[in-house]
Parts: sequence; C-alpha cells; structure tokens
Amino acid sequence: MTSADAAHYYFKKAARIMDVGERIETLLVTPLREVKVQVSIELDNGEIRTFPGYRCQHDNSRGPMKGGLRYHPGVSAEEVEGLASLMTWKTAVVNLPFGGAKGGITVDPSNLSLKELERLTRKFVDQIHDIIGPTRDIPGPDMSTNPQVMAWIMDQYSKYHGHSPAVVTGKPVELYGSRGRETATARGLLSVCRQILQDVGLPMKGMRFAVQGFGNVGSHVSRLFHEAGGVLVAVSDLHGGVQNPRGIDVPALFDHVRRTGSVKDFGGGTDCTNEEVLIADCDVLVPAAVGGVIDQHIAREVRARIVLEGANAPCTPDADEIFEERGVLVVPDILANAGGVTVSYFEWVQNLQHVTWDEERVNTELDRVMAEAYEKVGQISRSRKLPLRTSAYVLAIGRVGKATVLRGI
Amino acid sequence: MSISTQLVKKLVQIPIFGGLTIAEAAEFFEVAVETSVAKGATLFREGDAGDALLVILEGEVTVTRKGIELAKLGKHTVLGEMSLVGEGEVRSATAMALTDVKALTVPSKRVQKMLKADHVGALKVVANLAQVMSKRLAAINERLVAASGGGKKKEELADFGRILTTWQF
Repeated sequence: MTSADAAHYYFKKAARIMDVGERIETLLVTPLREVKVQVSIELDNGEIRTFPGYRCQHDNSRGPMKGGLRYHPGVSAEEVEGLASLMTWKTAVVNLPFGGAKGGITVDPSNLSLKELERLTRKFVDQIHDIIGPTRDIPGPDMSTNPQVMAWIMDQYSKYHGHSPAVVTGKPVELYGSRGRETATARGLLSVCRQILQDVGLPMKGMRFAVQGFGNVGSHVSRLFHEAGGVLVAVSDLHGGVQNPRGIDVPALFDHVRRTGSVKDFGGGTDCTNEEVLIADCDVLVPAAVGGVIDQHIAREVRARIVLEGANAPCTPDADEIFEERGVLVVPDILANAGGVTVSYFEWVQNLQHVTWDEERVNTELDRVMAEAYEKVGQISRSRKLPLRTSAYVLAIGRVGKATVLRGI
Repeated sequence: MSISTQLVKKLVQIPIFGGLTIAEAAEFFEVAVETSVAKGATLFREGDAGDALLVILEGEVTVTRKGIELAKLGKHTVLGEMSLVGEGEVRSATAMALTDVKALTVPSKRVQKMLKADHVGALKVVANLAQVMSKRLAAINERLVAASGGGKKKEELADFGRILTTWQF
C-alpha cells in the first residue's frame, strides 16, 4: 500500500465515522484538476528524451494549492493524485491557508547531468506556468528535487509573469528561501513530541528514542531530540544501524556520518539492522525513512510507547490497528511531519510581504502552529474516543468541509 | 333499450358497477344504447361535449390526449365516466377504436336525473367512481412528485454543514 493509498483509506475511515455520505466523500476526494504534459529535452550528447510530467491540484477551498514536485522513475498520475489529496488534509490539520497539490516527472535524475536537470525543470515550468502561481498553486521540493531546482522554477516562472519568488518554496536562503526550512520537519516533530510526552507524563530529559532514517528528517531529529535532553538508543540509515541502550554519542555520530557518509560502522554501540531499530527498547520511535516499514508483525514487537511518523505512511493500516489494540500512541504523518509544509508557508508569507524572518521567529511560529494542531487533534481524540490519526483526518475533513460549504459549490 | 339479465350480471362485475343489485343495474342501464364503431373510427374527441358514459362490450379502444396514449381499453371496461360528475364538461381525451367495437352508451343526463331522485344504483355508481378517481389522483400525485425530482428536495451541502457543526473544530 502506497502512502497515497493509505491516505485514501484513512480519509474514508474518518468520513464514514462522520457519516458525510457517499456524494460528499466523492466531492472531497476528487481532484480539481489533473494535468499531464510532455517534457522533452535535448541531452548533453544531442539525444532527445521525452518524460511525462504531472501536476494534480486537489482542492483549493482553503486557499492556493501547495505540494511538492518529485523527480522519480515511479511517478505516475495515480501516485500524484493520491499525494495531492494527502497535502489537502495535511495543510488543513495544521490550519495553513492552503489546499493540496502534487506533481512530478517520471525520470531517474541520477541519469541526468546538472545541465540536463535544469533544462528538464525549465521545460516543465514552460508547460505548467499558466496553472501555477503565488495565488494558485505553489510547488515545493520533494523526492530528488532540491533548493537549486526550486530556484530554476522561480526563475523560469518569473520570465513569464515578472519577478515572482512566492511561486515556489524551498528555495535557497540566498534566493528568497526561508531560514529554518531545512530543520522544519524535525522541529515540528520535536514540538509534537514535547506535547505528547507531557500528556503521558514523561519528561523530555532522559526520554529514550530511536530513529529510522538519517536523511533530512532523521538526522535533524537525532540532533534536536538529543539537544532537548533525549537519549538516542538506536539509529539507522539505508546501509545499516547502531544501537546503544546507554545512549549514542550524537555529536560523534555526526562526525562519523560526515566522514563516511553513513551511520554504518559507527563504533559507539552495537551494529543493528534497519528493522532492529524499529523494535528497539525505547519510549519514542521515529520512523523517518520510507513508507510501509512497520507492518502488523513489526507492530506487535515495537517496544516504544509512542510512534512519531516522520516519514509519510511508515505504518500500514494493519499495523495501525495493532498499535490501537496495544495502546501504543501514534502521532500520524499528516500532523507529525507537517513542520515542513508549515515553514514553506512561512517562506511564501515572507516572499509576499517582501520581508525576511530570523530563524528564531520561524521556530517560534512553527512551534505555535504545531502546538495548536496537536491540541485540536487531541481534543477530538479525547472527546470522541478516537485514535489520533482518525482525529486528525476528522479535523482535516471538517476544515476543508466548512470552507467548501461556506463557499458553496 | 332493455338489456339481457345475462349482460347485466356481467356488467355488475365491472368495478364501477360493483355492489349494484341486478335490479338496480337493470334500471341504471334502462336507457343505455348499444352502438357499433368500425375499426379506426373515433368514439369521441378531446374537446367534445362529455355527455355519456361508455362500456365496451367487444373490441379494443385507445385513449389519447395530445397524441399521447393514456390507456388501451378492452372488453368490459368503462370510459367517459368523468362525464357523470362533471356536468357540462368536455371530453378530456380522444377515444378511437383499434378494432371493430361494440359499446353501451349511458347518457349522463339520465344518470344526473337518477341521482337527483336518490336512485340507489346511481349513487352506488358515483361512490365507486369517487374511489376510482381518488386512486387515479394518488397515482398522478406520485408521478408529479417523481417528475419534480423524487420527493423532498435534497440539501446535501447544507446537510454536510449541519454534520460539521456537531463536531468541534
């Protein structure tokens, strides 16, 4: 099950609990617009290559649509559609004035040179510039797209429409990007972690946590949680992992990763697999690698009391049910990892107002947004006796639904 | 014209004449006239004066209004019955013989007279007629409702709004 399928499954589950009816479900789940374009470029060696590109705009009832742009061989119309709806729910949970969108190009960027990647990006913007824009649809980074790609998008779009930094987020800090964007998702996870620990009566200091994945999210989670007083007991990346029940020396781990490019063979503990990290003895587990890693079998063995979904859909719906039975608290992806899109929103706000916030302001505002979202989801969870995930979807459907009803169709 | 007891026995089996005794029916049909209509000929037209009730004895008749067929009527069915209660009214539909038709015609004026004289048979016929008409009215109401969108107008978006107010967001 892909993260898009999972999102659809949870949406349906919440919609049924709310008893909104089949036709309202269809209204909410059907995308506003799906565009497929042909992106043809000349390679450096003179050959011509054609790649399909997609942009799905799911819902704009709460504002301009927002969502990443991914370059990956697995990109398809179906995947992009599902992920666009996931963005609608995610932006609604954290109450950003955005709708949801997603796009991508079916391409393996590791086969392209930097110049080819630039031509591909600019050509794609040529094809979709009239449906995106600061008040329509604001792309951002996703799989295999980075601040440089966002800078090209801004530049190419501006050739058509005049200077428009707010057309895209995740830009380099030197070119209208926001401070704090890189650590945003991890900081959002820290924010909800503090709150849920308070709810269950565990102190942050001495809290034992495990992290699967050491990319943008996992590495910053390891560092920020450690700085906040947490004890990292297990961590892994694609190549391998390390665990130490007495705590891993996080600064030394970062040195090791800087030197070798991986957490594998870090001496400060015993080697372990990616799967062993998931079942490590700890208080908080942060799966921050890829989707679908925690199935029902692993869910039975997870020893953490709290699971923070750093990645999109790391737990399968089956695993989710096991966690519910076992009383393991799961902070769902659409809430837990919404820090990234929240700081993207701050970047858009700064661009529209022609101002620059310092990092402290970004972090303070991020904390406020995450705290409000967590509080609201918690309220629904307590009053209706629903798991956090279902409550988050109920909140999202409620907010999108209210905007839809108020606007009329 | 006097009609045979055998025919009268058949006629009282028609719903609109149900409950009449043989004697009451015989009196009711005392002034009835038997008419023959050739295939393709018209029994009456929409807009004609509605002055008689007809009982088909043989053959088949089509009833149309503005070219749309409302009913096909066969042996021992009744048409023009609305003329019994709607004095001075005109025919609301056209009746044409699909085959050679034999029919019994009862002048409405005669029935009106019987009603004034509290003729039990005529009163029973009118009571039956009221039942038939009320059933038809109910059927027409159904069709009207169906044509105007299947009952109570739906307010799905407003209903959704109401569902949302029961949740605290």
